[in-house]
Amino acid sequence: MSVYSKFARAASGMAMVAVLSLSPGGARAIDFLDGDLQLHGFFSLTLVNTSDNNFFGQSDDQISSEYSEVGANASWRLTPDVQLSAQLLSHRAGGTDDGGVRLDYGLLDWTMASSEEGRSGVRVGRIKTAYGLYNKTRDVPFTRPSIILPQSIYFDRTRNLTVSADGGEVYLERYYEAGSLSGSLALGQPQTDTDAATVALVGLNPPGHLDAKLAPDFQVMYEGSGGRYRLGFTALHLDLRYKPGYADRLGAGRFKLTPLIFSAQYNAENWSLTSEYASRRISVKDFGPFFYNGDALGESYYLQATYRLAPKWEALLRYDVYYADKGDRNGQDFAAATGMPGFTRYAKDWTLGVRFDVTPQFMLRAEAHQVDGTGFLAVQDNPNAQALRRYWDSFMLLGSFRF
Amino acid sequence: MEKLLTIKFVTWIGRALLLCLLAAALPAGKAQAQPAEPEMVAITHPATSEQAIPRATLRAIFGMLLQKWPNNTAVRVFVLRDDAPEHATFSKSVLQVFPHQLRLAWDRQVFSGQGQYPEQLASTQEILSRVASTPGAMGYVKASEVDHNVRVLQVR
Repeated sequence: MSVYSKFARAASGMAMVAVLSLSPGGARAIDFLDGDLQLHGFFSLTLVNTSDNNFFGQSDDQISSEYSEVGANASWRLTPDVQLSAQLLSHRAGGTDDGGVRLDYGLLDWTMASSEEGRSGVRVGRIKTAYGLYNKTRDVPFTRPSIILPQSIYFDRTRNLTVSADGGEVYLERYYEAGSLSGSLALGQPQTDTDAATVALVGLNPPGHLDAKLAPDFQVMYEGSGGRYRLGFTALHLDLRYKPGYADRLGAGRFKLTPLIFSAQYNAENWSLTSEYASRRISVKDFGPFFYNGDALGESYYLQATYRLAPKWEALLRYDVYYADKGDRNGQDFAAATGMPGFTRYAKDWTLGVRFDVTPQFMLRAEAHQVDGTGFLAVQDNPNAQALRRYWDSFMLLGSFRF
Repeated sequence: MEKLLTIKFVTWIGRALLLCLLAAALPAGKAQAQPAEPEMVAITHPATSEQAIPRATLRAIFGMLLQKWPNNTAVRVFVLRDDAPEHATFSKSVLQVFPHQLRLAWDRQVFSGQGQYPEQLASTQEILSRVASTPGAMGYVKASEVDHNVRVLQVR
């Protein structure tokens, strides 16, 4: 019954998106002041069905329509050197995000030096966190290779920690004959004020909250031959403290997370190969006897191939692997210590997907996942760890519109 | 029981749909016959001081990274639709960047607050007249279309 109505509601929503984007003149970018002021945006809806376990809402043998993304941004180029930009985002994702509107970024970009050979400058405000190849536009479906990003590196469970930060960034770009080199160093306050960030790290219904120290974020990227190949390295350091609440079982604990990401991509005219490897050092201490304290070295990687079948069609194949602890890959030690299933400490995800650009403004995607392990599932959608199944499949459909 | 059947049906439809999409896409992937490509050139407003610029700089300008000329004039970039043959030819043979890569680079900047899109025009004739009338403008046309109101920018 509820499956029917949910599906009908979601399908009618998608139909509306399609009508809007196909109507003539409905899909124009909005420019003012001779193009110096630009408005852009997107909205998308994803239907998720899983054979077992819940992903982005109640999807276990049902269809969840609780994954939607709506964004609108404005950018204003005041002078050739100064640009102001801001984006509002509503991101709804099952039990992890209710879709409340947030400021995704709001920043001033000042190019301080610019010549034929390159440019450098600063950005201040709320800045998107540089994290691998896809993070800065992680919620914009048109810029992603698939409906969901490889979860081993771009966790949706803990996304709020790395989505954007309040602070400043210096950047540098150099344009060489062989390719371009760019680098950035940011220092910012990560967003830990949402429940989702706290729950992902300390568990359901925490009475306390997390505070973050200013987090340094460094990225360097080399793009050879006009983007034919891209090589990148990212280093981020998060230092979070837990402030226990009233009658809290947990102590004033501390998380230190240091992900290092190596990125590589090769782009031919009709196909691309992408791989990223992340090593994540995690230190958890002082939470007391009711928590899994200790140090771990997490490991993640994926290999992804996309093929442009035709100008409007693209297919994707990906193998994505996540280990919470390299020293305990199958989670045996964790299971022995906590009584929780060992397979919650890893996930190996085979993904097959297809993208169809109906128009430049309207995109449809379908995607199937076959997963061993539940390492990237959110506790909000799966409160009972004992009810989780090790092997599960999922199927997703996405419709996305932009202007 | 009825609910279970519905769920199974919907799941099955989902799987079948993916297969259909893949099957439909495969024959569409066959390459179409390519007509002979006209030579494309980068053009600027005649008051621009540059006669020739490195390819890397041209990429940075069309990539919407470099925003001004050495004399401090703002750069204004005019392009055609992504699927226009002239856009593809200019991107591939002059910039040596695939058009879909260029689009992704613009998207990444616009949706992270780091840049803006170039202005999209309907024809090379329109590019020609807008470049001629806009100081700091940059665009592209077929070499045979160049007139005295714009300057051809050599790639060095």
